[in-house]
Amino acid sequence: MSDAPPRTNDRQDLVAIATRELRTVVRTPAVVALSVVFGLTVVAVTAAGSGSRGGYVPLVLDLVPFVEALVPLLAFALCYRAVLSDRQAGELDVLRTFDVSRPAYVGGVFLGRSLALVTVVFGSLLVAAAMVPVLSPDKPTFLALNEAADSPVAFVRFAVLAVLFALATAAVALAISAAARTARQALALAIGLLVAFLVGVDAAAVAALASGTVGIDAVPYILAVSPNGAFRSLVFGVAVETGGAVSPLTALLGLGGWVVGALAVAVVTAWRPVE
Amino acid sequence: MAIVTPSATKWVAGVTTLVLVLASVSFVVPAAGTVSPVPFDDTVKTGGTAVDIRLSEVEGFEVPVAQVHFSRYRYVIGYYDVTTAAADIASPESARQFGDPLAVFVSDYATVSPVVDDDGYLRTQHNRQPGWVEASEASFVVGSSARVPSGPIAVPFSDADNAQSFADRYGGEVVGWQTFRERSESTLETRLAAFEASVTAHHDWANQTVTASDSLFDRPVSTVVGEDAPTVEAAVESAPANTAVYVPPGNYSVDTVELNRSVTLVGAGPETRLVGDGNGSVVHVRADRGAVANLSISGVGSVGTRRIQATNESVDWDTRVQLAYGRGDAGIVLDGANDSAVRGVHIDTPASGIIVRESADSVLANLSIQGAETASEGFMGVVLIGERSVVETSTFRDGRDSVYTHRADGSVVRNNRMEGGRYGVHEMYTSDVLVAGNVVRDNRIGVIIMTRPIGNLVVGNDVRNANFGFIPAGSDTYVADNVFADNEYGMDVSGDRQVYVRNTVVGNDVGVRGSSTFPTNVVVHNDIVGNDRQVESKLGPMRTWTRDGEGNYWGDLPLEDADRDGAYDRAFQPSGPVDSELGRHQAALTLSRAPMMDALRRARDDVAGLRGSGVVDAAPRTTPVRPDVLTTLNTTEETDA
Repeated sequence: MSDAPPRTNDRQDLVAIATRELRTVVRTPAVVALSVVFGLTVVAVTAAGSGSRGGYVPLVLDLVPFVEALVPLLAFALCYRAVLSDRQAGELDVLRTFDVSRPAYVGGVFLGRSLALVTVVFGSLLVAAAMVPVLSPDKPTFLALNEAADSPVAFVRFAVLAVLFALATAAVALAISAAARTARQALALAIGLLVAFLVGVDAAAVAALASGTVGIDAVPYILAVSPNGAFRSLVFGVAVETGGAVSPLTALLGLGGWVVGALAVAVVTAWRPVE
Repeated sequence: MAIVTPSATKWVAGVTTLVLVLASVSFVVPAAGTVSPVPFDDTVKTGGTAVDIRLSEVEGFEVPVAQVHFSRYRYVIGYYDVTTAAADIASPESARQFGDPLAVFVSDYATVSPVVDDDGYLRTQHNRQPGWVEASEASFVVGSSARVPSGPIAVPFSDADNAQSFADRYGGEVVGWQTFRERSESTLETRLAAFEASVTAHHDWANQTVTASDSLFDRPVSTVVGEDAPTVEAAVESAPANTAVYVPPGNYSVDTVELNRSVTLVGAGPETRLVGDGNGSVVHVRADRGAVANLSISGVGSVGTRRIQATNESVDWDTRVQLAYGRGDAGIVLDGANDSAVRGVHIDTPASGIIVRESADSVLANLSIQGAETASEGFMGVVLIGERSVVETSTFRDGRDSVYTHRADGSVVRNNRMEGGRYGVHEMYTSDVLVAGNVVRDNRIGVIIMTRPIGNLVVGNDVRNANFGFIPAGSDTYVADNVFADNEYGMDVSGDRQVYVRNTVVGNDVGVRGSSTFPTNVVVHNDIVGNDRQVESKLGPMRTWTRDGEGNYWGDLPLEDADRDGAYDRAFQPSGPVDSELGRHQAALTLSRAPMMDALRRARDDVAGLRGSGVVDAAPRTTPVRPDVLTTLNTTEETDA
């Protein structure tokens, strides 16, 4: 920390805070260990499935359920106490004396933490993709490849969508950390939302369908309501294109909505502005 | 961490953003490449026969081809036959396995002025090459006089008027792609019925042919060697047609015995011994309705093959094969001797036993052929070339291949015993053969079908202690009710659209090997039990050995069958690292129940055509298909042990 605070603008504040967050992340062995476990798990699933021995599209299909479950876990682990810890340690008060704005603070925390998150998620998936040419049998050079069947482009799309999904869940975790006043509250909120994302919303959609409350036409919108559903819709609708007619725009708006909405909640709940 | 400075953060953020922005370009790059016709040579080829293709090269006729781009299969499939392409696309299994046909291209004869010549083959004006047309826009002439050696062909045109004028000239009917597809479709049920009918027809033909040959052995004896004629050669020379020459017991040194008339050379049994001079073949039958029976032959020359050494361009592939396999030394040679028969003859030969060249409806029965000690020294027990014959209830020991066929379409090889040679039955360029009820022991390969023929039937054979029980190339082979036990590899599932049913594959090092690049074979209702490795699959994608909810029996698996429908409730992957150990190690069961395994199992059924090689049975049976055969085999194993 510099000792003579000159007047800074929001952008410098944001970068400074992001830097501090990055430092915190790389200095926390538990988080580093978790990232390593995440990466190894992705690699292990890749090696355990039959998709990586054939192509990128089947690998995406192998990885979808795991990415869907593990990315929110990683994001929540990284972020669910970010703001809360600052508050409890009194750092928020210190920061406020530097006249840091709430958007700059929340943006900085989000940037710092999500840089780490995105690197781990995107990096692990790239490693998984790199295993495909290694594990697949050599392709005879005398045969023409059917270029319509499989493409690394599908996997890159999947990886980008996974990053978007990670950002959405990280934003939600950040909102939790800002809104929660105690660690117990944060934990409860985090677990509650995780369960809702991983199981609850989908189960509700099925239940609503079963009871006839909604028709199948409404399902894309229900799916878009949870980051998981939106992510899944995008993967099957845009990345591997096996899902048929899902509306990617709804799902994209859903994911984007979670990022924007959650960050807004974080900004509002970080601290009460001084009158 | 001094490294993490604000400027470093900016850099990291900048680079990460850049990477993600670049990666996002993937959304505007088309994920699927364009679909356009590729050179036929670059496709994975299927359909047609090697005879069709080689003859088309030699005689310059056309084989209309198709290429199919499936949405979930890595390579482009090339069909040497438009009808098979249509049939493959129409089957629900191929949709599940390889996805939808994104595009089908067929040869376009609209602009190359095709004609059907007197030989029935299709040729183009000035040998012009047909181009490609999308099948959905093509008109197909079916039922015209155009054909290839293996059967009639459909001729596609990009222009309906062209198609119609072709049909006006050469017969047939013009249909669109949709109709053509619907007509080409055939269910497993109809295919099985057709195979069974073919098996019956082959047996019927063989029975009739054998019965018809009975009369050859009822001929009155006109000449007795030693009484009416001094030598065997002189006796067959002087005997009138439609009579028999009797050779009493004893040793007879002969040079070459030539049956140039329809006579029967008959001995008293094994005590009648014809001994050649060790050069060339001993007995030649060159007339229709010639016969040899009840004697033994030795002193055969030792030349197995008269393969041409020089690569003389003027000799075509067929002649080359005939010279290589049909002109060596043998105990008996049937040469253009239709309706002839050899029965109850023992032959001790360093080369071939009997060579049958272009002798239709000949019968070889109750023979005992002793070949050379090693496969490399010896040659074939029986060689069938060019016409159909029956080989039955004979014993072959040592030598190279017990029965070798070259273009002997329609032959029947049944109820023989083959031991200690290289291959039991070796089919080359031969379609539509019935290989039934043979017992093969200690050979390198039990039954091998090469050079892409069609419609062979391999039924009720029993192969043990071989390197390979069975290997087929080609397509539409019916492999049923066989036993492959105690071999290194039980049976090979290769080629295209073969049907494997009710086989018992037990106690092999590897039970079944899946080795086609484009797996379209049906493997159901087999008992595959107690092999060190049940399945090995290194070529081609993930394949499903289940049809219409019916799978194979893989042994007593520790899985549930809650609905008691006779199939375990979840799919079984015998080639998988975990499932392959199911029932052998408790740990495999525990591991197989991990949520991760559940997720991977579910994912596995998607885009199977792009996955790593392997075998899945979606409905593994809880009980054996042929329990009695299994019980007998297990009892034998225990007795052996």
